[in-house]
Amino acid sequence: MEISPTIFIVPTGIGCEIGGFAGDALPTAKLLASASGCLITHPNVMNGGSLSEKNQNIFYVEGYSLDRFAKGEIALKRVKEQKIGIIFDSGIENEILVRHLQVADACVSTLGINVHSYVVTKKPLNIVIESDLSKISSGIIGNPNALIDAGKCLIEKGVTAIAIVAKFPNDSDSKETNIYREGKGVDPIAGVEAVISHLISKFLKVPCAHAPALDPIELNEKLDPRAAAEEIGYTFLPSVLIGLSNAPDIVELPNINELISLHPNQIESIVVPNGALGGEAVLAGIEKGLNIISVRNQNALKVTNEFYDYPNLFEVNNYLEAAGIILAIKKGINLNSIKRPLKKIQKCPNND
Amino acid sequence: MKLSSVDFYLDWPVSIELKNLREFIISNLEKKGNVIRWSIVDIKNPIDSFGTKKLKIKAVLAN
Repeated sequence: MEISPTIFIVPTGIGCEIGGFAGDALPTAKLLASASGCLITHPNVMNGGSLSEKNQNIFYVEGYSLDRFAKGEIALKRVKEQKIGIIFDSGIENEILVRHLQVADACVSTLGINVHSYVVTKKPLNIVIESDLSKISSGIIGNPNALIDAGKCLIEKGVTAIAIVAKFPNDSDSKETNIYREGKGVDPIAGVEAVISHLISKFLKVPCAHAPALDPIELNEKLDPRAAAEEIGYTFLPSVLIGLSNAPDIVELPNINELISLHPNQIESIVVPNGALGGEAVLAGIEKGLNIISVRNQNALKVTNEFYDYPNLFEVNNYLEAAGIILAIKKGINLNSIKRPLKKIQKCPNND
Repeated sequence: MKLSSVDFYLDWPVSIELKNLREFIISNLEKKGNVIRWSIVDIKNPIDSFGTKKLKIKAVLAN
C-alpha cells in the first residue's frame, strides 16, 4: 500500500484549540492517518479519558520516544499485543486505586487487552504543578526514582509496556481547572504528565503513557464539549490501556536483528500547530529537510517560521488543508500545479 | 535523582545554522543536567547588529 509516513504533534500543555483538551485531536489524527496511510502520534492526541480508538494506520508513541524517532535514534516495530503493567502512585487513596483496578479488569474482560500486573510505588511520587504566567503548563515530580524503580520491577516480571497512574493534587475548584473545563485555558496538569511518561521512556525504553488520578469532580454545566471525555467515569485509564495495547515496540538503532515496521528514514512530513515549531521533533525534521506542515491551531506559543525561514514549510489554515497536502505528497503531485497563478518552467543557464 | 524546571535563555548567533540549532541547544542544556524535556517557547528577533536572536527554552532537567 502506498504510504507517506507523517508525524502528527500537538504539544502537551500549550492550550491548543484543537488537541489541547481530552483527546479532541483524535478525529484529526484519523483524518491524517487516512490521508497519509501511516501516522505516528503521541498519547496527548489519542487519549480521551475513557474514550479512544485503535487504528491500523496509527503508531501510538510516547512523546520522548517520538522525539527519538524523529532524530533517527529508534525505529518502530508493530506488535499484535503488548503485555501491559501499571504503576500506581502510592499517594493514591484506596477507593481511587480500587476504581482504577476495576477499569483494568474491565479492559481485560471487555476489550481483551493484556493487562498483566501492577505495582505500587514505594514512595508517593509527589507531583508539583507549576503555575506559569506564560500560560504553558509545567511541573515536576518529587520522587522520580520511585517511579523508575517501579517500572523496573514490572519489566523484570515480563511486562512490555507501562501505564502510569499518578496522584494529582486536588485542585478541582481551582481557577485554572475551571477555565480549562470551560474550554478557555491550558490543561493545568498536562505539562507534568509529559514529564512522568518521558522519565519512563528515557530510562526504561518501553512504550508508556500516563493517566492522572483525580478526585471525583463537581458537575459543571458550562463544560466545553472538548473536555467532556474526562467527565465519563472515575478514571482516565481506559484510553491509556487501549493506546498501549498494541503500541509499537521501540527498536534501538542501528539494529540488524529486529524486524522493523517503520524506520525513521521513511518519515516524509511533520504536522504541527503554527507557533509550536520549537520542539525537538520539528527541529530534527528540519535537519533532515522534511516537509513541515504548520497548521493554524491557536495556542500559547509564537515560535513561527518567521524566525527560521525554512523553505520546506507549508502554512495552512486547518487540518483539512493539511490532509490535502499529505495526499498530494503521497501521490507525488506537484503542489504548485494546484495553485494559481501557475508559473512557466524556468530556463537554466547553460554556461560552459 | 532530583528534577528541576528551568527557564533558560540562550543567544542564537547567525553562525549557527538552523539545521544545527537543535544540537546547539542540547549541548548548552546538557551542561546544566540530564535533559528530560525541553522546547523553545519564545524567540526574540535580532538583539544586536550581528543578527543574534534570543531563545527562551523551557526545560525539565535531572541532576
